[in-house]
Amino acid sequence: MAVIELQEVSKLYGFGDATTLALDEVDLHIETGEFVAIMGPSGSGKTTLLNIIGLLDKPTHGEYVLDTRYVSRLRSGQQARARRDKIGFVFQSANLLPRLNVLENVALPLAYKGTLPVRRLKLASDMLERVGLRDKEYFYPKHLSGGQIQRVAIARALINNPTIIIADEPTGNLDSGNSKIVMELLSEIHRSGNTVVMVTHNPELTRYANRLLYMHDGTIVGDEKTKLGEVAKGIKNVYFTDESSVEEHLAHGVATIMREVPPKELSSKKPKLPKAQTKKPRTRKRSYKRSKK
Amino acid sequence: MIISDYKMALASIRSARWRSSLTMLGIIIGISSVVTIASLGEGLKKQVSEQINQLGGNVLTIRSGNVVSKNSDGSVASVNPLALFSASTLTDQDVASIQKLDGVSAVAPMSLITNSIGYEDREMNNVYVVSSTPDLNVVLQDKVNFGAFFIPEDTNENYAVIGTSIAEELFGGVNPVGQTFTISGTNFLVRGVHEPFQAGVLSTIGIDLNYSIIIPPATGKRISENRAQIAQILVQVSDQKRLDVVLLELQHELRTNHKGQNNFTILKQEELANVSDDIINAATAVISGIAAISLIVGGIGIMNTLLVSVSERTREIGIRKAVGATNRQILRQFLMEGLVLSLVGGVVGIALAVAGNFLLRIYTDFRPVITPSIILIALGTAVTIGVIFAVMPALQAARKHPIEALRNE
Ligand SMILES: Nc1ncnc2c1ncn2[C@@H]1O[C@H](COP(=O)(O)OP(=O)(O)OP(=O)(O)O)[C@@H](O)[C@H]1O
Ligand SMILES: [Mg+2]
Repeated sequence: MAVIELQEVSKLYGFGDATTLALDEVDLHIETGEFVAIMGPSGSGKTTLLNIIGLLDKPTHGEYVLDTRYVSRLRSGQQARARRDKIGFVFQSANLLPRLNVLENVALPLAYKGTLPVRRLKLASDMLERVGLRDKEYFYPKHLSGGQIQRVAIARALINNPTIIIADEPTGNLDSGNSKIVMELLSEIHRSGNTVVMVTHNPELTRYANRLLYMHDGTIVGDEKTKLGEVAKGIKNVYFTDESSVEEHLAHGVATIMREVPPKELSSKKPKLPKAQTKKPRTRKRSYKRSKK
Repeated sequence: MIISDYKMALASIRSARWRSSLTMLGIIIGISSVVTIASLGEGLKKQVSEQINQLGGNVLTIRSGNVVSKNSDGSVASVNPLALFSASTLTDQDVASIQKLDGVSAVAPMSLITNSIGYEDREMNNVYVVSSTPDLNVVLQDKVNFGAFFIPEDTNENYAVIGTSIAEELFGGVNPVGQTFTISGTNFLVRGVHEPFQAGVLSTIGIDLNYSIIIPPATGKRISENRAQIAQILVQVSDQKRLDVVLLELQHELRTNHKGQNNFTILKQEELANVSDDIINAATAVISGIAAISLIVGGIGIMNTLLVSVSERTREIGIRKAVGATNRQILRQFLMEGLVLSLVGGVVGIALAVAGNFLLRIYTDFRPVITPSIILIALGTAVTIGVIFAVMPALQAARKHPIEALRNE
């Protein structure tokens, strides 16, 4: 059964001439226990999609069913509570509150749930054990490495036993060693039954996912099942046809390469993606009308 | 939830220590000045009531003229200061008829004879030479420290009972009893010295007993060549429960003496106290009101600090919302910060006022008193100000859109 179900979800930013269509009638089902990687060029709507899935934002049009509940029209209080109970966030950077120590940071979501302080800190401590940072409980974020900060953020995302973990470029600021540690942790969480949705610019990391979405101009143009432990084949075809080695790409940061490639060129290569036929990219500047079934 | 709000607030206040302390300064100054003023007023009231208790609640004061007008319920409506300057309407006949009344245990008429005395080649001009009967000693509850009060047989002797301040100034270390000094060129013998009386900021019997010389009645008449008038009569009632009955009889008796005119005033000690309490309360309220303006300035300081804090911590607000904080919870967090700032400021302000109280007691004649109700009102005011001025910044924080807030690094 789908834990996440987006029905023709669109997101518009701005007014009048400055309107941007960040998401364009996106349909998406994500099953419990999936590890979904989302890729795509900068500005293609990945973060917007995550924000809507994570209940940080509301779709302009369309419906969102989370855990069988229609959540696209919730009032902000209900939205916050649903977010607290169902979603765990890991951002690219500055995840932690600098004034709270590691333990308090991990316990923060429980505070908003009304869990008693003693129990809160106990649970947080257990969770830190799970991410291997128990000995850093009383450290402040400024005394942790980037990788450790991300692991604390993962611990915090897990503390409420959420339905989905949402990670927006969780390794975007990390070197390859730390990236690996963080990804292994996410992978372990996935193996223990959690649903993970992650945006990344690094094709290497698709080896931890069992499904890859490729976004372009606010639509999902590619959706493929991938094998755990292997870099997605379609991605390999698209991005690694030139001479340079995978290692070089990693060294330069794939993200920069992807930003350098103009979107047009990318879409011309798109047919090479195995399941890219779901939706053809359309010309943007059309007037938007809500299509109701 | 409240407790963790409080802890979070404390943590963020501590992390901006300097800014927080400067912010609190406004509240600290405001609260400490309001508390000090209120405690001065309270102290003044206490001093007055102590003076009144020195005489005892069973003493009635009769003054010439209609000093105060009263409402129908007996409360004082207005004070009539002109009455103090007219010739006295009180007579020896009044004294005699009061003495005959049932339930009256002592009657002490007091006449002001002069203000200056001489000793050797010196003069003192700031004293009260008062003639009265030995009954005054009864009314004052025998406060003679050295020597003795004069007795009825001494009525025409040149004897004097002097206040402790006069004793110090005239005779220094020497035992004053048996010494002589002059009033209007006549030699007087010191018979007794009063013990120190509460230094009265407002004296209920109209004179400062520490600077008074009490002489016998006939002597007073002789010295003043019969020009002395009875300024007031102190009447002690033997049974305080019968005070009101005696008061009515007194009123009736005096009115008969005065041919049906109400040109005299009978005051209970508590009424004297009420009059002065009213005056003190009004003055305290006015001055505290002025001091309270600094509290508003302090409140604006809190608002300013919180506004800065909200914009600095936009990312934090975003993260809190991402992990499930509702708008209301964010609102409460910032309200709590305002509250903690003002509460800490209030507590420090009160502590400062307490310290100031000690200094005032040591270096001045004031005897300020900080009562629990002053502290409660001060804390209540501080808290109210903190919360009110935190509302705007807190709303601003609560209404931030999570996405916008998260975009802020
Ligand atoms: N608050 C906003 N106001 C206006 N336009 C916005 C806003 N947020 C996003 N957009 C626009 O929506 C589009 C999608 O943005 P989004 O952040 O989802 O891209 P992304 O795929 O996450 O890009 P990146 O890989 O750079 O993170 C972009 O064109 C962006 O300019
Ligand atoms: Mg993004």
